[in-house]
Amino acid sequence: MSKFLRPEIIGKGSIVSRLLKRKLSRRRFLGVSSCALGTVALGSQLNVLKALAEPGSGVKLSLVPDRSVFTCCEMCVNKCGVIARMREGVIHKLDPNPSFLRSRGMLCARGNAGLQTVYDPDRLKYPLIRTGARGEGKWRRASWDEALDLVAGKMTAVADQYSRAGMMFVSTEGFQEEFFLRFAECFGSPNTLRHPTLCLASNLQGFGATYGTNPFPDVRNADYLIMSGANRAEALFTPDSIDMIAGDGGRRKLVYLDPRFTRTAAKADEWYPIRPGTDLAFVLAMLHVIVGEKRYDREFIDTMTVGFDELVPHLETYSPEWAAGECDIPAEDIRRIAREFAAAAPRAIYYQGRRSSFFDNDTQLRRAMAILNVVVGNWDVKGGMLPGKKIHLGENYYLAPWYDGVPERLETGDVTYLSLKDGAWKPFRDRVLAADPYPVKGMMVYKQNPLQSVPNRSKTLAMMEQMDFICTIDITMSDTAWYSDVVLPEATYLERLDPIHVLSGPVPEAVMRNPCIEPLFETKPNQWIMQQLARRFGDEVAESFNFTMEAFIANQVEGHPEILEALRTRGVYRENDEPVYGASHGKRMKTRSGKIEIYSAKYAKEGQDPLPVYRAPQTPSRGRYRLLLGRTAYFTHGTTQNNPYLHELMAENSLWLHPDEARRLGLRDGSRVRVRSSVGEESLPLRVTEKIRPDCVYMDHGFGVLSKGLSRIHGRGASDAALIEDRMEPISGNVAMHQTFVEILPA
Amino acid sequence: MSKKRYAIVLDTRKCLDCKACTVACKAENLVPLGTENYRNWVSEGRLRGSYPRLGQEFAPGQCMQCGNTPCKRVCPTRATGVGAGGIVTVEDKKCIGCKYCMTACPYNARYYNEERGAVDKCTFCAHRIEQGRLPACVETCPTNVRTFGDLNDPDSEVSRLLVERPYRVVKPEMGTKPFLFYLI
Repeated sequence: MSKFLRPEIIGKGSIVSRLLKRKLSRRRFLGVSSCALGTVALGSQLNVLKALAEPGSGVKLSLVPDRSVFTCCEMCVNKCGVIARMREGVIHKLDPNPSFLRSRGMLCARGNAGLQTVYDPDRLKYPLIRTGARGEGKWRRASWDEALDLVAGKMTAVADQYSRAGMMFVSTEGFQEEFFLRFAECFGSPNTLRHPTLCLASNLQGFGATYGTNPFPDVRNADYLIMSGANRAEALFTPDSIDMIAGDGGRRKLVYLDPRFTRTAAKADEWYPIRPGTDLAFVLAMLHVIVGEKRYDREFIDTMTVGFDELVPHLETYSPEWAAGECDIPAEDIRRIAREFAAAAPRAIYYQGRRSSFFDNDTQLRRAMAILNVVVGNWDVKGGMLPGKKIHLGENYYLAPWYDGVPERLETGDVTYLSLKDGAWKPFRDRVLAADPYPVKGMMVYKQNPLQSVPNRSKTLAMMEQMDFICTIDITMSDTAWYSDVVLPEATYLERLDPIHVLSGPVPEAVMRNPCIEPLFETKPNQWIMQQLARRFGDEVAESFNFTMEAFIANQVEGHPEILEALRTRGVYRENDEPVYGASHGKRMKTRSGKIEIYSAKYAKEGQDPLPVYRAPQTPSRGRYRLLLGRTAYFTHGTTQNNPYLHELMAENSLWLHPDEARRLGLRDGSRVRVRSSVGEESLPLRVTEKIRPDCVYMDHGFGVLSKGLSRIHGRGASDAALIEDRMEPISGNVAMHQTFVEILPA
Repeated sequence: MSKKRYAIVLDTRKCLDCKACTVACKAENLVPLGTENYRNWVSEGRLRGSYPRLGQEFAPGQCMQCGNTPCKRVCPTRATGVGAGGIVTVEDKKCIGCKYCMTACPYNARYYNEERGAVDKCTFCAHRIEQGRLPACVETCPTNVRTFGDLNDPDSEVSRLLVERPYRVVKPEMGTKPFLFYLI
């Protein structure tokens, strides 16, 4: 790596330098209102604005912005373009950026509520050091120097006593996560733990093993869409959620399989309350019909794929009549849907979804979905599955020190395809608890919240209990922060200058974050935190963090001033407005064979099924129900439930139960119930509704928090993480969250 | 230039009940926190049918900017008036907080704003319209449920939609002449 960071700032007049020069009327804002933020619960921004208008000054409150800032949302993973409307140094409103194509110029409830991350009295304000027992909630305010000295000292102690691998680094995606991962690498631990094995690892694995890439569905132009458990109307994902509706108007048909009647079901042309865990039977039966009746795209299969000949006999027993008994979907409907799908092809998509942490067969289910898309020839055509493209940015190189004698990742060998960057949560945690093959005694956390997101919370608590040291960097007091020894407050996304990020897709776009205001209180961007920490680990580590964000961005756009110019004038950069179709046809795919792999030779070699084989899921015994979890459009994982605006939309989760079962159990709508699984018990209100299969119960994710620092939602609702058993899909290491049976008892 | 008559046309089939409009409105118009305080809303329709044959609709709503205003009629201080473009207004200084207008409104579109000491309601974001920006609820909607425009302009999108598509208004029997039109 020959290239080093250049220290100079990009040219005068550029967006970055101008932003830095811009002096906000911040002193006045802080002078008046930071006291209010610290001591009194803020009613709304109006209070802030009122505080700004000096008594007797006759200043009339105006809703007209005096300044606008292009930035990009961080309330979920979509990164929608945002224009922040400013008034007197206060963020008044976050508007969608109409130039940002991937969001189709919209901003959802969470995006609009984003300004409350800044002005919420519950936000973290100062570095905190624990004074009581873990989880007791006793803290003292510390200076950054004291807190960082303590963190560096504890990390060194762990490295000295065990090894550098004795520190685990837990993080999740975001524009400043790369600095955390860089720090982990420079510290010398292989043990980074990210979110994918709680989310979509099996999805990426199944589609990746087939296509050599994870394709993007061209939802807007599809005539026929099948969604299995992908609740796109509530778990908003851009642009699919929007295009799913925009594509309507009599032309597009949406078939939706879900044990719940979700908002997506309400928008679908056909909804089938499929028996959970049997989607693979449905897909195999569709394949059985399409292949058996020769409704596939022969030419495409011949030129672009391998393994079709093995597929044909494999499908023989998977008839619609057989599948009907598994899925609770009539055979004639399966056959009809298969024929309609093939007739609509190539503008027909079996949608792969995002989160695929449902069952321990999820990789094979995603493989089957991919194969179904492949045989109808919808690859890289309008209304089909499209390859992702990127915009190339300049690199920021660094050189991590080399340390001798650091062991391999802790869970090496536990998963067929283990990502060295992401790790696999379930086996990793099990191995920490067993100290096998070596102990892990220190935990650095950035933005992730394993106490809410990893199934079987009591195991996560036990894992944290045996740690010598835990430090969490976040913007609010998450459950994980609550159980930490040191909590470091990060500046929110509206207060940070973040690196440019490229959102890959059929039409890739580049976005960045410009700070709307300077960080409130003593919060700092993660890049600064990592830089300060790195300085405490010697010159070699410090060298890798010896740069400014402006220089980092300058390297990203070196030789491409047009990128920065577009970001300055429109808040987004892209090279084309429409997808280019068909460029990959006749070209090599990124698989071993160079073709789309219907039959996976590499799976066969690993002892996994080379073609998806159906195994029936367990059935709940009488009096027990399968626990399902999911999302609403108001919440992102466990992060936004305590947001003042979003909290108003839903203050607590509830347990969905079918009326027939409620009657049988003698439980009334609205009454409080206890939910008991083999690993935990939680209580929450009951919601009796016909919107769910009688053999299942459901709760929204993200409630039942342990942290009293989330003042609005503490003591409200139930945590699914406390109830779900920790099971795993073996190929990708993804957890399987829908395989827990629970009993329902009156509270 | 002829006088404007603003209206919103809604295609509720597109509504996901995601509440983006509700939060956008609260932020834009500094509506105080609290579930009683709102200028717009999304109502969840009755669940139709029985398992597994179910259906449900969602419908956003807000002040209908009526042509015939029951709120204005009952206001003892003339705090409620009708402004440019037919937008029904409340003048904070004149409002004594008697809440007659809240009772008179058949759409429950008004609330009492404690911070301002006056009744408050949707203004179609008049301050944004003046700047050539769309109302916050219209602009932010992921699926473009709402279309905003001038009904006195025959070439506007709202005029065109009402010519091309069948529509209904809410509670026509009240004779309020609402200017929110719901496409059927």
